[in-house]
Amino acid sequence: MNEERAKRWDNTKLSIRVFLANRTALVGLIIVLIYVADALIMQFDPGLLGITQVNTLVPNFTNPVPLPPSWAHPFGTTFPGVDLYTSILKAIRIDLFYSILVVAVGAVAGAVIGVVSATVGGLLDETVMRITDIFFSIPYLILALAIGFILGRSLMYMSLALALVWWPLYARYTRSQTLSTKEFTYVEAAKASGVSRTRIMFRHILPNALPPVFIQISLDLGSIMVIFSTLAFIGFIANAKVPELGYLTSLGLNYVQTAPWAVIFPGVAITVFALAVNLLGDGLRDVIDPRRRS
Amino acid sequence: MNLWAYTIRRLLLLIPTLLGLTLIVFILSHVSGNNVILAEYLSPKLTGAARAIATQALIARFHLNQPIYVQYFYWLNAILHGNWGYTNTAIYSGPVTTAIALFLPNTLMLSVVAAILIWIIGVRFGVYSAVNRDSVSDHALRVGSFTLYAMPIYLIGVALIIVLGVYLKVLPISGVVSPTMVSGLSWYVNGISYPTHIIIIDAMLHGAWGVALNAAIHLLLPAITLALAIVAGLIRILRSSMLEVLDQDYIRLARSKGLSERIVYNLHARKNALLPVITLFGLTVAGLLGGAVVVETIFNYPGIGYWTTQALLDSDVGGIMAATLLFGLILVVANLLVDLIYAFVDPRIRY
Repeated sequence: MNEERAKRWDNTKLSIRVFLANRTALVGLIIVLIYVADALIMQFDPGLLGITQVNTLVPNFTNPVPLPPSWAHPFGTTFPGVDLYTSILKAIRIDLFYSILVVAVGAVAGAVIGVVSATVGGLLDETVMRITDIFFSIPYLILALAIGFILGRSLMYMSLALALVWWPLYARYTRSQTLSTKEFTYVEAAKASGVSRTRIMFRHILPNALPPVFIQISLDLGSIMVIFSTLAFIGFIANAKVPELGYLTSLGLNYVQTAPWAVIFPGVAITVFALAVNLLGDGLRDVIDPRRRS
Repeated sequence: MNLWAYTIRRLLLLIPTLLGLTLIVFILSHVSGNNVILAEYLSPKLTGAARAIATQALIARFHLNQPIYVQYFYWLNAILHGNWGYTNTAIYSGPVTTAIALFLPNTLMLSVVAAILIWIIGVRFGVYSAVNRDSVSDHALRVGSFTLYAMPIYLIGVALIIVLGVYLKVLPISGVVSPTMVSGLSWYVNGISYPTHIIIIDAMLHGAWGVALNAAIHLLLPAITLALAIVAGLIRILRSSMLEVLDQDYIRLARSKGLSERIVYNLHARKNALLPVITLFGLTVAGLLGGAVVVETIFNYPGIGYWTTQALLDSDVGGIMAATLLFGLILVVANLLVDLIYAFVDPRIRY
C-alpha cells in the first residue's frame, strides 16, 4: 500500500515538473488565477479595490463623452461617463461566473448523455447522435441568439442558451472517448477475468475516459467567455447597466474614432483571459498525455 | 461505391437533417404559446379589426387549436411554399422573403470574399510556417495566430477600424458605398441597388466603374475582419498537417531524386496537407456565418447578419426565426458541398 502511495506521489511530482517546465503554461496559469482572484474579491469584498456598486455600471451624465486615460481613470471612461478600470474589474466577475455556468451546465449534461449513449448503444445511441447532428446544422452563435431570445434577454438566459448549444459537442466528445477506452486491451483482460459489467464501466472505463473530457471542457472556458461577450456585444442584453465586457465594448463603439481606448481595454481584457486559458491548456495536455511527456 | 451512389446516399441523409432543423425552429416559435407564431405571421401594417380578422384566419390556417404535431406540418407546408412570415425592424419592414432577397446577396458577397482571403492567407502562411519550422518567422506567425485565435471577432474589427480607418485613413469604416457616389442614380434607390442588390455587381452591370471600385473598397475592412477571425485556426491546422506530410516516405523519395525543395513543397506536399483542411471547411462556413452577424453589425453592412441583430434589438421574432432557419439551411447546403468535394478529392472517403 505504501509503495503504491509513493508511486502515485512520484507520478504527481512528475506531472508538476512537466507542467512547470512549460513556461508559457505557467504564465497562463498565473493570469487565470489573477482573474479568479479579481472575481472573488468582487464577490466578497469589493471595498478592497474601492468599488461599491458591483452589479451595476455607474454612469456620469454630467460628463458622458469618453475621457482619455488619466490618474483618476487609469483606463479612461466610456459612454456615458463610465469609468473603465472599475467597470472591467466588476465585469470580470460577471463574465467568469456566467462562462463557468455555461461550461458546467453544458458539459455535465453533455458528458452524462455521452457516457449513457456510448454505454447503452443501439437505438438510443443512434437517436442521440442524430439529435446532436441537428444542433450542429445551425451556426452556434445564431442558434444561441434565437434560443436566448425566446427564453428572455437576460444574462442568465443567455448562458442557458449557450449551454443548450454546447452540450452536443461534449456529448460527442465524451461518447467517442468512452467508446475508444472500451477497446483497450486492459478492458478486455478485465472482461476475460470475469469482472462484472458495471464494475468495468465505473472502475475501468470511466476513470480513464473522463479526465481528458474534463480537461477539454475547462479549456473551452476561454472560447465560451469570448462568445458570451460577443452575444452581449451585438445587443443581446436589454438591461443597459450591467457590467459585462462585451457590452462595455459596445458602449464605446460609436466613439471609436475619437476614443479608441473605450473599445480596446474591455476587448483586451477578454483576449488576455482567453489567451491565458489556451496557454494553460497546452501545458495541461502535456501533463495528461503520457506520449508528450518524454 | 462510386461517386454517384455516394452523392445519392448523402442527399438522402439530408432529409432527416432538414426535418430536424425545421423542427428546432418550429419548437422555438412554439414554446411560449401561439403568440410567437402569430407575431411572425401577422403583417405589422394591420391594426384594429383587420388584425383580429387576420389573427382568426391564421389560427384556422395553421390549425393552432390542434395538437402540436399537426401544427408542425401546416407550418412546414407554409415554409415550403415560401411563406416565411413578416419581419418588422428599423431597417426593413415587410415579408421575410423580400428581406432575404435584399440582404442575403450582400452576405454571400462578403462571405465569398472573406473565404478567398482565408484561403490565400491561410495556405500561404500555414505552408510557410511548416517549411521554415522553428525559424523566427515561424515563431512570430505562431504567436500571431495564437493571439488572433483568442481575440473576439469584434475586437479584431475595431482594431482594424482604429488602425486602417482612423489613423491611416486608408479604408472607409462603415456602409457599402460613399453616399455622394450614388446620389441620383436610377439603379440605386433608398440604399438598395438593382437588380442583384449587390452594389459592386450592379455597378459593373451599369458600367459605373467608379462606384464599383468605391463599393469594393468599402467591402475590404469587413472582409478582412471576417477572414482574420477564422484564418488563425486554419494556419495552425495546416502547419501541423504539412509537418506530418513532410515527414513521409514519398517526400523523402522526391528529395532523394534530387527535386528542388520548391517542387517538393508545392507539387508533392501541399496537396495532401490540404486534405484535413477541407474537412474543416464545414466548420469554417459555420464560423463565417456566425462571424458575419458580428462583422455586419460593426460595419453597418446590410446583410442577413445585420438584419438579425436589428431584429434582436427591435424584438422582432419573425426576423430572428427566419434568420435562424436561413442560416441553418445555408450551413446544411455548405456541409453537403464540402462532403461531396471531399469524396471527389479523396476516394478513400467513399468506401
